Amino acid sequence: MLEVKNLNKTFGELTAVEAVSFSIKPGEIMGLIGQNGAGKTTTFRLILDLLTPDQGEVLWKDQFLSKQMFNTIGYLPEERGLYPKVSIEDQILYFAQLRGRKKADIRPQIDEWLKRFDVKGKKTDKVKTLSKGNQQKVQLICTLIHEPELIILDEPFSGLDPVNADLLEAGIKAAQKRGACIIFSSHNMNNVEELCDSLIMLKDGKQVLNGSVHAIRQKFGRTKLFLESDLTTDELLAFPGVQFVKKNREGIDVVHLSEESKGQAIFDAATAQGYIPTFSQQPPTLEEIFKKMAGESNE
Amino acid sequence: MSKFWVITKEVYKKNIKSFGFIVMVLAPILLVGFIAGVGYYFSQQDQTSEPTSVAILSNDPELQALFASEEWNFAVVEEIESEQDARSALENEQIEAYMIIAAEGHTLQSEIVHTNALSSQIPMIAEVLSNYQTMMRANEMDMSPEEVQTLTEPVEIDESVVSVYEGAMTEEDLSGRLIQEWSAYAISIAIVVFIMTYSGIIAEEVANEKGTRIMEIILSSASATNHFFGKLAGVALVMLTQLTIYAVVGTGTYLYFRDTAFVSGLIGELDVVSVLRELMGYTLIFFVAGVLMYVILAAFFGSLATKMEDVNKAVTPIVFIALAGFYSGMFAFASPENSMAVALSYVPLFTPFVMPFRIASGTVGTGAVWLSIIVTFGFTGVISVISLMFYRSNVLVYSDTNLIGTIRRSWSIMQSNKRARNLRA
Repeated sequence: MLEVKNLNKTFGELTAVEAVSFSIKPGEIMGLIGQNGAGKTTTFRLILDLLTPDQGEVLWKDQFLSKQMFNTIGYLPEERGLYPKVSIEDQILYFAQLRGRKKADIRPQIDEWLKRFDVKGKKTDKVKTLSKGNQQKVQLICTLIHEPELIILDEPFSGLDPVNADLLEAGIKAAQKRGACIIFSSHNMNNVEELCDSLIMLKDGKQVLNGSVHAIRQKFGRTKLFLESDLTTDELLAFPGVQFVKKNREGIDVVHLSEESKGQAIFDAATAQGYIPTFSQQPPTLEEIFKKMAGESNE
Repeated sequence: MSKFWVITKEVYKKNIKSFGFIVMVLAPILLVGFIAGVGYYFSQQDQTSEPTSVAILSNDPELQALFASEEWNFAVVEEIESEQDARSALENEQIEAYMIIAAEGHTLQSEIVHTNALSSQIPMIAEVLSNYQTMMRANEMDMSPEEVQTLTEPVEIDESVVSVYEGAMTEEDLSGRLIQEWSAYAISIAIVVFIMTYSGIIAEEVANEKGTRIMEIILSSASATNHFFGKLAGVALVMLTQLTIYAVVGTGTYLYFRDTAFVSGLIGELDVVSVLRELMGYTLIFFVAGVLMYVILAAFFGSLATKMEDVNKAVTPIVFIALAGFYSGMFAFASPENSMAVALSYVPLFTPFVMPFRIASGTVGTGAVWLSIIVTFGFTGVISVISLMFYRSNVLVYSDTNLIGTIRRSWSIMQSNKRARNLRA
């Protein structure tokens, strides 16, 4: 279990991270979201002990994260890098050895991992001959092959096409099944919604959201109403609590409500004549929440 | 296997296999081979060069016979018998020189006119003629050849060059001194060449890993100390490999060719063993210290670069310091007792360039030499510690500002980490 308690880090005048706390149980996936410069990478570096927090602590299995735990970590940094002139196999072996694994243990697994991530190319190929997406997958293998218990992925999905993104998702889920604690950051809210048990949103180093995806969405209330009925836009706008109405591409009205309870009156009016094909009252999507939170000023 | 060795091995393997390494090792071998080849070609040319066509005008056939031997490499044109003929033959470029040797009584008189073709042989000609004259006069005086020899025996001179240091006079072996000077010279050049190449290699290693963020993966797998020194050890092994290759190739070439006339002519009186002994002594210590110091600095500067493209910019200070060191060495070569040279010989970054020349000139005592060695290694230790301290935070700074700006930011990260650690403790 990873516990992050009240992390604070300043560089001179700049407060990079302020009062960040969360915990991840084995087999749990946490998403870390936030705009560029919100403090995600600093948070990762603090967890990895590349930086020391001014205040607060990072506990891994109730102990300070230290050199002894190097071998249990899998870390994928935001910018992808491999040694271009080294073969895929040597690369994977090198990083595995740095995580304290023996060459002889890792070598037999390489083929299977390359197959699992559908890497195009032979393991004797030099990295520079691979496409960018394939290089990225090789790096993911380097991050996961030593079966780390704590996995930190900085923007793992960026640059992957949907097929490869699915392969990555499968990889992350497999690690989750093993019981690993996983944190990843992403700008793609669909990935976050699909994978994460919980999430943290950082803004200017502060934690503005924290909890399960479901709970966070519910907290914002079911203020979005998808409706297919005989009611016209003008009629809809006349209801109390309706902020605005948009038609989406399928011709369905999307009604934005000031609060969840205002939906009842519209439901009654729309179904007065009987059957309607769509009435769905939803909380805002994670993406909408993200934009809303990012847009708000701090106060 | 410890992580230190994993890193060392990886660095070693990667560099040894690289095309750059092969070029780096082969280039000097090819260059030396080329120079030797050219030298050999010209020496062959010399031996087979056309004989100089000469007219020798003399009333004594014995005198003409003096220059008949092949050693002179003269083609004597016998048809020319008068000075006038000789002059016009020279003007028509039929001959390159003429000699008029007249024996009057027991005195030889000679006039030599040449188109600079004989200039190197004039002293020999003079000697041969003088000897002949001596013999003539000795005959006149009824002296036996033994008596002549006693008369002309040269004075025996026993030369010893001494150096005076702190009131004590030490005898110096002249050829030893020359050997020392030349090994000092060779070592200066070798240090500069090795510093340039290996600073580049290690700085590139570090900057490359930093630029690609591999560094962050490594620093979350192994300690910065392991990484820093593992890299240095890897590069040191690459260097050792290069030196071993040269030693093997050099020894092999020497053993194979030492009996040929060209090589023995080239080496001449030089005592190869004593040259090697000279190289293995202080010189080797200064070589190791010099390269080590600069390579550590290069790793430090490499860690300041944000991307690969900045490496050259980042190692520029090292190149300048090394060049300044090299020229201080040249200065010390010229005037080893100058107080500036003496002072520079104790400045760690300059010691390996300057001290060997002072040793060669015999103006420095053993104690002072060891003092400079201790200072140098002490300094190397200090810069390793400082570089390592910065290294941890340098590699986290990605800044577009200049080196100073990067160091400043790195310093603030380091301070902030240190403060935080102190608080925790």
